[in-house]
Amino acid sequence: MLGVHEFSIAEGLAAQVLANAPAGARVREVEIRVGALRGLEPEALLMCWDSVTFGTPMAGAILQIDQRAWSITCSDCRREWTSPVPFVSCECGNATPIPSGSDELDLIAITVDEVET
Amino acid sequence: MSEQTRTVRLPVMRRVLEANDDIAAATRAELALRGIFAIDLMGAPGSGKTALLEATLRALAGRRRPAVLVGDLATRRDGDRLARWCDRVVQISTGDGCHLEAIQVRDALAQLDLDGVDLLFVENVGNLICPVGFDLGQTAKVGLFSLTEGDDKAAKHPYFVAEADLLLLNKIDLAPHLSFDRAGFEADVRLLNPSVPILDISATTGEGLDAWLTWLTDR
Repeated sequence: MLGVHEFSIAEGLAAQVLANAPAGARVREVEIRVGALRGLEPEALLMCWDSVTFGTPMAGAILQIDQRAWSITCSDCRREWTSPVPFVSCECGNATPIPSGSDELDLIAITVDEVET
Repeated sequence: MSEQTRTVRLPVMRRVLEANDDIAAATRAELALRGIFAIDLMGAPGSGKTALLEATLRALAGRRRPAVLVGDLATRRDGDRLARWCDRVVQISTGDGCHLEAIQVRDALAQLDLDGVDLLFVENVGNLICPVGFDLGQTAKVGLFSLTEGDDKAAKHPYFVAEADLLLLNKIDLAPHLSFDRAGFEADVRLLNPSVPILDISATTGEGLDAWLTWLTDR
């Protein structure tokens, strides 16, 4: 099933990109950062992005998704590492290290072609 | 005169959902001005969101002045159920939308006479994933789980658990018929949200509802 909240996020992103792009500029690349907590599916967002931007100055723009990993802290041995999933065991044997992730969802930068006359 | 293009990278650093957040912030400010405590009630389809609200509205009758917004993909059934217990109910049909957004809540609130209202329940679309990331302007997010969904649902929905100000575990009257690991469920919750209160309830039998009503009254 298509993640429909990814569609809403793609719509919000397209509006934010347009608001921050110089008028008439062709958008080549869009960079976003997504916290682990968001549980975003990059492939679903990419599909929605293509659909939302079709026929706009953003059509064909590459969407770079910097998806942040979970930070894992072992409460027994104090080891810290990152993981794509929140619930993992520590190599010391502790089955319940503490996961933490951020909920950021930010437009970092856009790359555009500006026309010079 | 010749035309040339130049490729430039422009730093932006703004929230993707800024437009939604701005509307939610305006709603939150208006609700605060009116002294309305607003709950975004989220939970899976069939977890008992509407049943909980029915029991809650019945218990609060004469004590509080609630209003209810209820989001659904289709049908007005939930709104009709709740209208028996509350005279200020707006059904929001989301069509194919899997969650409510701030603009839908703002527009639904505009249909209500909020004078005298002190409590607002927003029943989100049944879904443990999509609604969590969209601020509606609520004062508190309440997450509803139920025993029949299985004890692994907290671990499988970290954002839902981490964002909740209160978690309710519904259908505890069915515990004798199910193998729900209550301690394991709570251990998963604690890893993601160390301080969130968890209240065991049954919207059907009324068990545990006093603690929920006390939580509401203390707000």
